[in-house]
Parts: sequence; structure tokens; C-alpha cells
Amino acid sequence: MRTIFRGGRILDPSQGMDLVGDVVVENAQIVSCGEATPNPVADIEYDCNGLWIVPGLVDMHVHLREPGEEHRETIRTGTMAAAAGGFTSVCCMPNTSPPLDSSALIDFILDKASSPDSGGVFVAPVGALTKVVDGNRRLTNLSSLRKAGIVAASDEGNPLQDASLMMNAMEYCHQLDIPILCHCEDLTLSVNGSVNDGTVSAVLGLKGIPRTAEEVMVMRNCLLALQTGCRVHILRVSTWGSVELIRQAKFLGAPVTCEVCPHHFSLTEDDIGEFDPNFKTTPPLRSQLDVDMLLQALNDGTIDCIASDHSPYAPHEVNVPFEEAPFGMAGLETSLAATLTFATHPGTITPLETIDKMSTRPAQILGLDAGTLRPSGTALAQITLVDPALEWSFDVHRTFSKGKNSPFDGMKFTGKPVLTYCGSEIYRDAAYDSGRVVGED
Amino acid sequence: MKRNLLALRHLDVDDIQYLLSLAQEYKDGLRFAGGNGPRRSIGLLFFENSTRTRVSFEQACHKLGYVPVNFSGDGSSMSKGETLKDTILTMRHEQLDALVMRHRASGAAFLAAEHFSGPVINAGDGQHEHPTQALADAMTILERKGQIEDLTVAIVGDVRHSRVARSNAWLLSKLGAHVRYVGPNTLIPSNMSGMPGTVHYDLKAGLTDADVVICLRLQRERMAGPLVSSANEYTKMYQVNRGSLRVAHPEVIVMHPGPMNRGIELDDATADGPHCTVHDQVHNGIYVRMAALEWSLGEDGAA
Repeated sequence: MRTIFRGGRILDPSQGMDLVGDVVVENAQIVSCGEATPNPVADIEYDCNGLWIVPGLVDMHVHLREPGEEHRETIRTGTMAAAAGGFTSVCCMPNTSPPLDSSALIDFILDKASSPDSGGVFVAPVGALTKVVDGNRRLTNLSSLRKAGIVAASDEGNPLQDASLMMNAMEYCHQLDIPILCHCEDLTLSVNGSVNDGTVSAVLGLKGIPRTAEEVMVMRNCLLALQTGCRVHILRVSTWGSVELIRQAKFLGAPVTCEVCPHHFSLTEDDIGEFDPNFKTTPPLRSQLDVDMLLQALNDGTIDCIASDHSPYAPHEVNVPFEEAPFGMAGLETSLAATLTFATHPGTITPLETIDKMSTRPAQILGLDAGTLRPSGTALAQITLVDPALEWSFDVHRTFSKGKNSPFDGMKFTGKPVLTYCGSEIYRDAAYDSGRVVGED
Repeated sequence: MKRNLLALRHLDVDDIQYLLSLAQEYKDGLRFAGGNGPRRSIGLLFFENSTRTRVSFEQACHKLGYVPVNFSGDGSSMSKGETLKDTILTMRHEQLDALVMRHRASGAAFLAAEHFSGPVINAGDGQHEHPTQALADAMTILERKGQIEDLTVAIVGDVRHSRVARSNAWLLSKLGAHVRYVGPNTLIPSNMSGMPGTVHYDLKAGLTDADVVICLRLQRERMAGPLVSSANEYTKMYQVNRGSLRVAHPEVIVMHPGPMNRGIELDDATADGPHCTVHDQVHNGIYVRMAALEWSLGEDGAA
């Protein structure tokens, strides 16, 4: 069985490839990628004229909420949302209920994710870094978790305050070659806060979260990474100070990478308006200066990846006074569109860099068999078709995710993933078919 | 026409002046309430303890011939885990015509207005705004000073946690006053560039030539908290008293939204002295609340 993606702009950062050509898939694996070959016979043919053909996107920061919080999202709805967002691999974060701190739970996640009624994307679980045993916080059985299939360990949702325990965790993870995804937040500085400490917090009478709540922990974790040699990935940087600290840490040789979320480089604290809880997230939306500096850091490469931090909540949890609302935004189905609209099209990053930060680089950081269109002989074909020029308006009530808590509802975007392929077609947008002659023979 | 009174930040100068003149007409006996209008039911929904504001609204209702219907956070379904949205939707079907609400969360009044059918009057939402208190204060200043334009108003104390400070700052600056925030760095938000006025950490500089001094309450739990070294030191640095007022305008008036901590924010002599307007503020509170209720229900007769 042969499938051809014909005549699209191939963007593959893993090969530095940016040319118009074909990608050929046989028996669910990529067998060639490059300039068009004459007259190949295909069982299924995708006309990619005007589209980008890119390696399936990778989101290394997603909350699928299972087990325990199925009213917010399930592995099924979350992976369907991922497919619709152009993703073929997502990492699920461990702060579920119970947290992902045992091999049995990792098995559960992988089983559910591979079930036929899920969205068809790869789910790469992230294990909990620590757990509480007899009232004491200690490391999880990371070696066993590694064997069960985790690709990283994280303190996401439960930021580790104890520097000594973090140092031990990094030493141990360095030995096991497990990257740590760090949630950088000093809880004594962020306590009771709900927005950035700045002009808006003063006007709205909301307790502010100072940027230092993030930065002191970014600095601590960078220094510990430098000391231990552990690979550390800083989750969702939001301030210009964090970017500067990471730039310095990289200069010093610390094995540090970082990510930014689309909402942090496209929105500011001013967008909160009159206490709209859909704009509440952690770290909070910051100032225009931060937005400018985050874009600058995307441009110069200090920021390695773009991740959604997809954090769905049930409507009844969000429709409460701002201070009582949970932190987080659903993001899988807007991540690429927001990036194209606010970073790629304005010229901050090239199309190739965009795909690097949303596919190739996160796959490298986590050691996933993804993020490339190069024929490997082992990996399932992961391909996303993107219409970079499609103008559309985002309607949160038409998403696959259970989480309707998006700051982008009603936003006009330019660019959209229109077809997602992960061994087989897992998502096809109506926009792909409209005006396109689809040949199947 | 029904109107919400949620924040002075959003209120036009025309509306502010109209509300103040309406209140003054009631006080002067030039305007009479009641009569042949429909008997309105006003829900007084206090999720946070309040004596004076609640009593003031009740009195305003009685004088207008409206029926106040009391709800409190403790005895009702709110303490049983009901969400604010559901409480407000219930209020809708209790056939209330207007809602007066106090809530511990900043912005809660906006959520209430989104779900309630009639007008909502914010009687204090967290640390955000307390519009009717500011209207009472403005009415008091007008009575004592004859004007607000070009007056220098010093708001002294815990600005960070004060909804009274925010409402007063917006109202008074919209009417042309020069607003100063005075207090320790720890009790003033770090970035005040979104608020009208200037910041002074030094009491003497803040009070110099002030026509009006608004003292803010320093909550007792705050005195022992990390933002204040001690009540004693705070008092030495920021108490409004005869000594510190020496640099102010000779005819300065000293205001306090109450309840005051005598001996902390201001001393006995000042609190009981002729410059202090605390009781005028309470008295005027009833008239501005009458004005606010009528105006929000669209029963003030204005087009």
C-alpha cells in the first residue's frame, strides 16, 4: 500500500529541507522524501499544492487529566484534540489524580492511548519526579518508570521547593539519562497571586505574582543543571528575566533547554479585561516588554520549543470569580495557528524554525522517534499538512477538547493544520477538501 | 434604563456628577421618594461581613419605599458549596429587581452582573472597588470644600488592599482632584502606572498642602503580618495626627471610611476634632445609596 503526499512545500528541520516535493509512505512508513519522482503509482494520493508537508507536530507539555480528572479531559478527547491541532505525539503531564508515579499507571496511560477509540497520536508519558511517602517527599522509582515508558520526569503542578531534593533528583536522573521538566515557581513569592504583579494587578485589586517567583527557580534549576550535568528543560518561560538567565546558563554550558507557550508571546496582562478567567494561567500573562523579549528569544534560538501547556478545565470550574478560578488554558487546537499568526507570519521565526520548535526539537530533547520526515525503517509515518494562508476564526465550542477555557475564542488566525497522518489519516479538516480535487485510485 | 454600578473606573464624569446631585437633592429635602411607583425588592447579598454598608443600604431602601431582602454568606446555600453563578441565577428567580453585592473576590460584581437580570450595585468586591463609599466621600468633600476640582487629596495607609482607595482615586481624579497615595512601599502596589495620581512613601511629603486626607484602615491581621514591621512603627511613621497634619492645608479635612483603629491610623484628638468628617461620611452614605439605587433601576426620572 502506497500513499503519496504530492507537490507540497516540504519543511523538515531534521534534514534542513525546505523544497517543493513529494513524501511517499509505504506500509505506514516514510520511504522517500524530497523532489518529485515521476509517475509513481499510489493507492492514496494527497494533493498538497499550496500546503506545507511537515513532520507530525510534537507537544511536550499537555495535560490529558486522566486518571482522576475525566470531567476536564480524557485521553480520548485530549488525543483527538491533539490530532486536530496537527500533533502526532504529545507528552502527558504527571499531576493527575493519582499522579503518574507508578509503572502501573504508565501502563494504563499507554494502553488507553493506543486504544482504537483514542485520537491515534502517540502519547509519551512524563513521570512524577517525587511522591510523598509517610509524610516525606522523596524520589519516585524512576528506573522502573523509565522501563515502563516515561520519556521524562517532572514536578509540573507541584513545583519542588526543596533545593536539596531537586539536586538529588538531578543527580539520579543524570545517571538514568532522564530529562527533568522543571516547573519553576517559588510558592512563597506566588502565594495567593492570580495575575502578573504589575499595572493590571494594581488596578483590578488582585494580588500579583512577581516575575521573580519564576526567575529565582529558573536560576536555581539552571545552576543545579550546571552542577549535576542533568538535562533540564524549563517549562513555559514567561519573563524576559527567565530568558536572560537561560541564555547565560547555556553560555556557561548548562544542559538546559526551554519552551514558551503561544499565549505568552501573543497576549499580555491587559487582555484580562474585566476579570475574564479564561485569561488566568500560570505563569501569568505578562507585559508587552516580556512578549517582545520572548519573541526575540524565539528568533535568536534561546527558546528551543513551543508547547501549548494544554490545561483543560470544566466550564463550572472556570465560571467563578477570577481569584477562585483555576490556572490554565486549553491550547492544543490553537497552538500552531497562534504561532503562525503571531510569530511566523510577522517574520520572527522562519517556517522551518517554526516546525523545528514544534516538532523536531522537542522530539530530540525527549528522544522520541518523531520530528522527522527522513525514512527511518522503523518509525510510523508522522506527517502534518498545514495550510499557512488559511484565514479562519477560532470557535472554542467546536473543539474536540472538553476544555473550553481558551483566551483565543473568536480570534482570527492565519494558518491551520488541515490533515494529520500518524500511520494512517487521523484528522482531516473540512478546509483541506474545499476547493481541492482529491484523487483516490 | 437599567444600569450597573460596578466600578468608578468605568463611570462617566456626567454620571458621577448626576449621582452626587441626586444625593444632595435628597439630603436637602428637594426630592421626595416613594409615592406611586412599584414596590421594588432589593437583594442585599453580603458574602462578607459588613454592618455599616448593609445598614446604609437598608436605610436607603426604606427611604425609597423599596423592600430590602437580606442574604448573608453564612446562613444560606453559599456556605453549602453553591457557586456564585448559581446563587445569582437563583436571585433572578426570587423576583428581585436589583442586587447589592459584597464579595471577598475582586471582580465578583462583574460575574454577578453577567448572570443577573436587573442592575447590580457593587458594595465592595475584594480589593477592587467600593463605589458607593467613594460617592459618599465625594459628597462629603463637596459639602465641606465646595469643590473637588484642583484639590489635593492624600490617601494614606494600606492602599494595596483597599477597595476604598481605588474607588476614591478614580472618582476624585475624574472630578479634577490631584490624588496622592501615601504609605509604606509594602502596602502600595509595585506598579501604580495604571492608576491616576502619584505615590509618596514619606508621610510629610504626602500630606504637604493636602486639602483632604483619606485615612485607610490597617487591618489587625495585617499589623502582625510580613508587610508591616509592627503597629508601633507603622503608627510612628504614618499616623495622621496634629503633628503630621501641620504641613497640610490649614482647613484640611480628615476622612476615614471606618471602622477606624483609633491610635493607629489617626489619633484621638484628630478623630474627635473639627476636621474629621467620619460621621458626615456615614450620614451621606444613605443619600448616595438612595441615588445609586434609583439611578440603577432607571427610576430617577432622567431620560
